[in-house]
Amino acid sequence: MGSLISQINAVVAMNVKSLPQRAWMSAATVFAVAIVVAVLLAFLAMANGFQATVAGTGARDVAIAMRQGAQAEVNSVLMKEQVDLLSAGPGIAKNETGPIVSAELYVIVDGIKKASDTKANLPLRGLSEAGMKMRGDLKIIEGRMFQPGTNELIVGVGALKEFEGFELGRELTFARSRWTVVGVFSMDGKVAESELWADIGSVQSLFQRGNSFQTVRLKLDDPAALEQLKAYNEADPRLKLDIKSEADYFADQASGMSDLIMYLGWPLGIAMAFGALAGALNTMYTSVASRAREIATLRAIGFGGTAAFVGTLAESMVLALLGGLIGAIAAFLFFDGITASTLGGSFTQVVFSFKLSPALIWQAAVLALIIGFIGGVFPAWRAARLPVVVAFRAA
Amino acid sequence: MSDLYLIFKNLTRRKLRLSLTLFAIFVAFLIFGVLSSFNKAFNSGIELSADDRMVVVNKINFTQPLPIAYVNKARAIEGIDVLTWCNWFGGYYQDPKNFVAAMACDAETLLDVYPEIVLPEDQKKAFMANRQGLIAGQSIAAKYGWKVGDRIPMNSNIFSQKTGGSAWDFDVEGIYTGSTEQFDTNSVYFHYKYFDESRSFGKDFAGWLILRTTDPALNDQVANTIDTMFANSFYETSTDSEKAFNKAFIAQIGNIAMIVTSVVGAAFFTILLIVGNTMVLAIRERTGEIAVMKTLGFPAARIFKLVLGESLLLSLIGGLLGIGAAWLIIGAMKAALAGILPTLVLTPDVALTALAIMVGLGFLTGIVPALSAHRLNIITAMSRQ
Repeated sequence: MGSLISQINAVVAMNVKSLPQRAWMSAATVFAVAIVVAVLLAFLAMANGFQATVAGTGARDVAIAMRQGAQAEVNSVLMKEQVDLLSAGPGIAKNETGPIVSAELYVIVDGIKKASDTKANLPLRGLSEAGMKMRGDLKIIEGRMFQPGTNELIVGVGALKEFEGFELGRELTFARSRWTVVGVFSMDGKVAESELWADIGSVQSLFQRGNSFQTVRLKLDDPAALEQLKAYNEADPRLKLDIKSEADYFADQASGMSDLIMYLGWPLGIAMAFGALAGALNTMYTSVASRAREIATLRAIGFGGTAAFVGTLAESMVLALLGGLIGAIAAFLFFDGITASTLGGSFTQVVFSFKLSPALIWQAAVLALIIGFIGGVFPAWRAARLPVVVAFRAA
Repeated sequence: MSDLYLIFKNLTRRKLRLSLTLFAIFVAFLIFGVLSSFNKAFNSGIELSADDRMVVVNKINFTQPLPIAYVNKARAIEGIDVLTWCNWFGGYYQDPKNFVAAMACDAETLLDVYPEIVLPEDQKKAFMANRQGLIAGQSIAAKYGWKVGDRIPMNSNIFSQKTGGSAWDFDVEGIYTGSTEQFDTNSVYFHYKYFDESRSFGKDFAGWLILRTTDPALNDQVANTIDTMFANSFYETSTDSEKAFNKAFIAQIGNIAMIVTSVVGAAFFTILLIVGNTMVLAIRERTGEIAVMKTLGFPAARIFKLVLGESLLLSLIGGLLGIGAAWLIIGAMKAALAGILPTLVLTPDVALTALAIMVGLGFLTGIVPALSAHRLNIITAMSRQ
């Protein structure tokens, strides 16, 4: 047994050390695997980043209510009476001023997307103090908060970064009314960072919404209280709204787009992996052929077929692993952290960053190793069974 | 012995290597064919837009409404041939997941503005005559099994009826096809009048106006006139050519063209390495043989042609198989993706581009070994043996 292991060690070392002799073929395999891994990781990082931004947004103990069938905040319409009625429901957390609820408007305005220099849909959210308090991780990082009752607005860091026209101090004109950007806010990387926020009353009058709203957020005593509130809502024919936890709402919003990216990324990655596999097989068969005399010599002096097998397989795995490593580093350098924006579930832009994670890198590494394994195992089989005499003759 | 026979014999002497290399080329062209078709489908709105068609939307954003009174004011403007208006309905059929791209439009003018909508004459008449009538594109009609004469309910995720509820009843009066294969037949149109009278809010407003100018040269002038006419009002307008409007909309989703180009570029770079190396290797193995051929009197130019021909043939076979497979896959996906990408087709220009790339790839991978075979010195080659 010991001699088998030392045989294997000797052959593996010999194969790996002689790689430079087959430099071009080997480099082609390494690059092919690197490209597959980098492309796959780019897609996975995109899906992951979008998912993290959107799905990470919602709180479990905040309920969001919309008109039945509305599906997204932008479609919903709620009347003041419905908001009041729902606020009187059970399970809602209270403070000194009463139940903690935030009735909000969500309208779309144009911004200019910097990447393409074209108009893009940005959400302008009208909300009150209660709504801001409900979002615990809101931070004003520049300027100040808007004054209630004025045409002032604050802009999320994501919207500021990707779109033109919302710089601090900038004046905007919407339908004859002038608005001023007075502050920049962050919210721990959540979707709201792609939004513009202003006072609910000002937005209602700008968009002639009277005393209507689009959604209402209700702070719950605890996540379990959602069921009570739902039952209350179902029992009243004046309500019959769609109520979900904010966490569920955003998870739904995230799923479509990140699934789409995943469904594009994996088949592409696998298709490209097949291409790279063909290259790896070619390289390894060539390697076996060029080492035929060497293998035959080893066999002649008593090395077993197993050593030749493992040696060839190891060579292939080393190439694939090297490729995987280069691909992962390239993906990390070029893609991790770059920001992009796309049209989200509410028909507005969502700004997100590509995000690599150890789990994703592991998935890509597995793909690289599979290429290395399959690309090595068949040629290794040939190496192990190479009849000594034929090998000498061929060489 | 013809050259083609020689090339073929050379190509097929190592079957395993040939099939692996062909497979790598096949995969790259498959990716190219599928992704390019996707990219085309995404951009079909730009490509298929008519030069003389313009879109008028609210300046704040196209989801904000415009007063219906703008229709008559705008119609009086010189240079406008015909004008219609629509309102987004936010439709779904039976379940909120069954999204329907439904629009309430002015029925009288809709088909004049969109001559791409092809409808049999009797169905056209029936649609005009029935205010609850609806016309559906053949792809969405097929999806939900709608037939002419059906009465169907459709819900809105935005609007509700005055009488309560969000469901409207419609009679399917026509099923339209597109004047070209790429035209979107996944939309549904019905009478604005019926919609406007029955909705509980938003009456006398339209989502957007669409018009055709008498001459595309007048586009800018018409846009300026409209936007100036409504400047400083509560509902300011922004008028753009259909092409610019669609382009901006697609850019909202992201830079798909860049993603496609990068992935396809990466795939081709990979096979360039793989195939290039294989060709160099294959020719190097044949050094002795080429030396013999030269000794026998084969001119260097003919050897050059033979090698280059081999790499071209390799690239063409793999590439054509790849594009063929992409064509089959796109065909199979078309139905499944009709809701998202109604205009998914592998167009002849994608195939032609692929053909050009095949030739380029064959040339690039063959030129180095072909040159070295051309230069090969008989004496050195023979003594190397």
